[in-house]
Amino acid sequence: MLPVIVVHGGAGLVGAERLEGSCRGVQEAALAAYRILQQGGSALDAVEEAVVKMEDNPMYNAGCGSVLNELGEVEMDAIIMDGKTLASGAVSAVRGIANPIKLSRLVMEKTQHLCLTAEGASRFAKAMGVPEVEEESLKTDYSRKRWVENLAPGSNPVESQMYGKGKMGTVGAVAIDSQGNVASATSTGGMLNKMAGRVGDTPCVGCGAYADNLFGAASPTGHGEAIMKVTLCRLILFHMEQGMSPEKAADTALEYMKTRVQGIGGVIVVNSSGDWVARFTSEKMPWAAVKNDQLHYGFYKGESFTLPVSSI
Amino acid sequence: MKPVIVVHGGAWAIPDKIAEDSISGVKNAILEGIKILEKGGSALDAVERAVRSMEDNPVFDAGHGAVLNANGEVELDAVIMDGKTLAAGAVSSIRNISNPVTFARSVMEKTDHVMLTDRGANQYADCQGIPKVATDELITEGERKEWEHYQKYAHSVKTLFNSQLVHDTVGAVALDCSGNVACATSTGGIRNKMVGRVGDTPIIGSGGYADNNIGAVSCTGHGESIMKVTLARLILFHMEQGKSPEQATDEALQYMGKRVHGAGGAIVVSPDGKWAARFTTERMAWASIKEDTLSYGLNPKEMFNEKTFRIAS
Repeated sequence: MLPVIVVHGGAGLVGAERLEGSCRGVQEAALAAYRILQQGGSALDAVEEAVVKMEDNPMYNAGCGSVLNELGEVEMDAIIMDGKTLASGAVSAVRGIANPIKLSRLVMEKTQHLCLTAEGASRFAKAMGVPEVEEESLKTDYSRKRWVENLAPGSNPVESQMYGKGKMGTVGAVAIDSQGNVASATSTGGMLNKMAGRVGDTPCVGCGAYADNLFGAASPTGHGEAIMKVTLCRLILFHMEQGMSPEKAADTALEYMKTRVQGIGGVIVVNSSGDWVARFTSEKMPWAAVKNDQLHYGFYKGESFTLPVSSI
Repeated sequence: MKPVIVVHGGAWAIPDKIAEDSISGVKNAILEGIKILEKGGSALDAVERAVRSMEDNPVFDAGHGAVLNANGEVELDAVIMDGKTLAAGAVSSIRNISNPVTFARSVMEKTDHVMLTDRGANQYADCQGIPKVATDELITEGERKEWEHYQKYAHSVKTLFNSQLVHDTVGAVALDCSGNVACATSTGGIRNKMVGRVGDTPIIGSGGYADNNIGAVSCTGHGESIMKVTLARLILFHMEQGKSPEQATDEALQYMGKRVHGAGGAIVVSPDGKWAARFTTERMAWASIKEDTLSYGLNPKEMFNEKTFRIAS
């Protein structure tokens, strides 16, 4: 099986000044993950690596650079899923750690549970020796600025995040490795100025991610509440089970989300044969994919550029 | 449209000593629910009422009577979903609230969000003036003893589940006279779970799902397994392919057993009034009402029928 990695950096709106940084970041994440796959590494390791890169990159709404909740705090959600066994690990509303995706993987591999929240997640992080980080170190001037703007009465954070000059929502990755195993990972700071304790789609299995060796893997981004109402990832995989291509499955599901619950977003998908797509109903979504030593990437709708990996 | 309501009080090896109370508990809950439906009330109101009845009943692991986590505390999860709009409300790891299902409904109707957890959820409950109840009020003496017993003997979650462990999440699904479906599920989770462990219950598509176009489902059983296969959504997926609620549920439960070695149960109602209550655990306390017939059961293949009497409005 020719391994494949696809990553996205969120389907929310990005100001022109951040365009270059967002494009570069997803490419770097994809290339780092591809190196793992090339060496025979697992899809699980690859998606984790890609997401860690984006959590560490202040450009994205995950880990460092996360949006702030209404109280000005950083509460993060993440999920990782193994298509071979359907094992999964997730954390919701976790604070004070740099890489929620790593903690999610620990939940999956070191506990008998699938999801830990808030205080429980922090306790577990401590027990695992995960270093605590100062919350301030996760914030950027940009995230602070957006928070203040959206405290104003009459502001509309959802609109700001998705339609206005808001911050992007969520990062994610899907992969298939040389053994044919698929995996999916997603991480986010959530919605701009969300209520404290608000949990979006990301850590909810079937919504914020799904991976099943039989059909494929998906990671979404966009309006979290809408993604939850249609269990977007699970829906996409159901469509692929019915024989749809990743592109048709993704477009059908995204269209359904738009008409049924007025939600827009994006998704990356890989199927069990290694076909992949990056699709979105938002205006933009930075994404990158590597397969067969070719790097593909795009930002605006309909865009897809290709570069041989060797040239980078 | 003739209304239908189904409730469950948990799928696990219910011991004989609480079997009778479990049956009367689900019967009481369903009679509360049908009262609303017969007066033309909504499926949403009916499932909430039925689940509240079971949350208030200490025999079930939800609200009062909930199991304790590893720290000896009560952390509650719940979900409610409206099949008409796909609106949903969910809460996880909340404390000191009598009726998590009502709180979940408040999240659905009064906030822009679908799910709140832990500290933030409790803060919101305070804002809304939802009355707090002391932890001691939620814990039964029996549960405290069981927890202490399990503190002495470390067990894995799987072992605990497969061996008689309390795992009676409660839930309800309903179809009202306007043709709307709804679901609700509520739980204290697994005994001795890690602090902050979130199971299937508050996860849309796993613990419950409702869609007027397909039907409504509420699940119970080994939470982690239910999540891995997104059981509620899977059952509805099979129904979308034309299977009956019974076939769809059996197939999904079989799959869960085979693929991830998990057992559980589910109740289902379809928009045309068909329903099912199926399980792969040793027992599941359940009841249904459709057209003046109250059905209920506990053991596999069991179904007792009684005629209900019209409750004067």
